[in-house]
Amino acid sequence: MTFGDREVPDVEALRTDRYLDALLAAAERRATDVPSGAELDPAIRLAATRLARDLVRVHPSFRFEDRLAARLGEAARAMRWRAAAGGSQTSAPRAFSRRPAVDPHLAKVEGDQDAHRTGRSEAMDPLDPVDPRHVRPLLVGGALTSAALAGAAWVAWRRSRPAPRSPMARAVRAARQARLVRGLS
Amino acid sequence: MARPVFGREGGTAARGATVTRLDRDRPLVEAARRDPERFEALYRRYLAQVYSYAYYELGDHHDAEDATERTFLDALGNLHRFEERARPEDGDGASTFRVWLFRIARNVVANQRRGRRRHPVAPLEAAGLLASGTNVEAEAVRRDEVTAAWRAIGRLPADRRRVLVLRFVEEMSTPEIAGVLGRSEGAVRVLLHRALRSIGGELSGDRG
Repeated sequence: MTFGDREVPDVEALRTDRYLDALLAAAERRATDVPSGAELDPAIRLAATRLARDLVRVHPSFRFEDRLAARLGEAARAMRWRAAAGGSQTSAPRAFSRRPAVDPHLAKVEGDQDAHRTGRSEAMDPLDPVDPRHVRPLLVGGALTSAALAGAAWVAWRRSRPAPRSPMARAVRAARQARLVRGLS
Repeated sequence: MARPVFGREGGTAARGATVTRLDRDRPLVEAARRDPERFEALYRRYLAQVYSYAYYELGDHHDAEDATERTFLDALGNLHRFEERARPEDGDGASTFRVWLFRIARNVVANQRRGRRRHPVAPLEAAGLLASGTNVEAEAVRRDEVTAAWRAIGRLPADRRRVLVLRFVEEMSTPEIAGVLGRSEGAVRVLLHRALRSIGGELSGDRG
């Protein structure tokens, strides 16, 4: 084995790495012929053998495993429905939150910091009911609710049409927003 | 088609390389892309690994569960962005999906830790669970050894502790670790070497 013109620390690091490869491979096949690593610093050999024995993988509780599996299944079905409704499967599902979900209207009015940090509020018009992020399919007992189905159809229809940009539409939105702010204050 | 490599090292050399062997997870990834519900197979395969990584990093079961959940949800939602990057020199059983998944986990854990502003502790309470046997005396010695090893790990700087966890707990190769941490393979080897020397010195002292 040659190490060419490498620096001494690199050579030692390479030797250590190859020793670890052999040690961990031996442990995996439960072999008794553990590599000697005679050319290594004894302290490194000691640390490697102890860590190979003592650093174990930790499994989460089965309750957690099943709960997350269910959550992922739910998210996967939602992605499939979004795709079927003409959307894409690209948006990341949201994790369980320990805090109550933020009302998108409040987030807009009060400038929700989390929403800004995660970019969820980006280009989001809380008064626009066709934003696909507001019409996430809701699964109850494994079945899509009729409201979610209606929402999916609405999204598909609106995605094929440009958003209204007329002065009247803008005026209606401004009036609704002003009413919402008054209601909150 | 030319593929980039795991780490920075060897990037130039590998530019002309081609994928000559199958990424271990390719069939599962392709199935999950066709039908997101098939993602479950990848989830079951890597749950314990991701959870272990988060647990060693955060030192708390609840925090590790949160990080694990976020990691898999992000992976599911961004699976279309995953790009397989297997190379022949990555060895048998290499998975670039695993590297990609652990990059997500690393970011999730970093964000969680940033919010917590607390130095992670080695999960010492779990050390007692490892030492179970019928010989009480031997069990006590074993428990002390495990505790000493985990305490030594907990005292390492974060980057050294991380490479040890990825190498010994996750059983990743050096190229895989380089891919997860975004470092060169040479840098990972040096980190491993220094981390082991620190741990070895400490354990030798304990023993003596």
